Amino acid sequence: MKAFAARDDGVIVAAISRDEALLLQNLASQVSVLLREGNANDPAVIRMLPDAYPGDPASSAEFRRYTASGLIDRKVSNADVVIVTLSAAIDSGEVTLDRGQAQAWLRSLTDIRLSLASRLGIESDEQEPSADGVLQGLYDWLGFLQNSLVEAVGG
Amino acid sequence: MADTIEETHVSERSALDVPWVTLVLNDPVNLMSYVSYVFRSYFGYPPAEAERLMLQVHLTGRAVVATGTREEMERHVEAMHDYGLWATMGKADA
Repeated sequence: MKAFAARDDGVIVAAISRDEALLLQNLASQVSVLLREGNANDPAVIRMLPDAYPGDPASSAEFRRYTASGLIDRKVSNADVVIVTLSAAIDSGEVTLDRGQAQAWLRSLTDIRLSLASRLGIESDEQEPSADGVLQGLYDWLGFLQNSLVEAVGG
Repeated sequence: MADTIEETHVSERSALDVPWVTLVLNDPVNLMSYVSYVFRSYFGYPPAEAERLMLQVHLTGRAVVATGTREEMERHVEAMHDYGLWATMGKADA
């Protein structure tokens, strides 16, 4: 997959291979499953739905009661946009995103990277790359894609 | 008596008036370009201010990105969680 770029008509495009599209679809659906299952002890879920009130479990729980289902619905729907736009890209070899779809992609790529980072144990800026070369390579690739998407939407 | 009531009134007022803040905390995952983009597009910060706040998060571990009522800050924190940023809230004087 190449970097995202904005066309003159504002549509954001990136070339993508079939294997890359299938891999990204798989990651997006894994994140959806994680969010729907909502295991409160899973570090990836905790990072995607963090405490709003540090040191105040009661207020954090109340905040979560009011916001978690909406946040999960929106994150799942962002992942759905990624999956659907990739399905269209499998035949054409190109992802094409309108403004709304690009916003869904930005957020969903973030959720995927946060989940991968929690599996890789990435916890600080100074950390050495993970010994799991495949996952680390995937994580770095997603960072490259997201950075190019930020630039394409007007970063 | 009147003084006591007056004082209670004043102290309740000032307790209610303490503003709340939305904090964004540093994490090793979110890209600097993305954090800066979120500050511009969601809060409407001019590019230089968004960049300054992003660098403050990156270099010092946190930055106050909004101040206001508790309800407003809860809305901002929820929006930051939509973006995948690590955001929390608290009293401005805490």
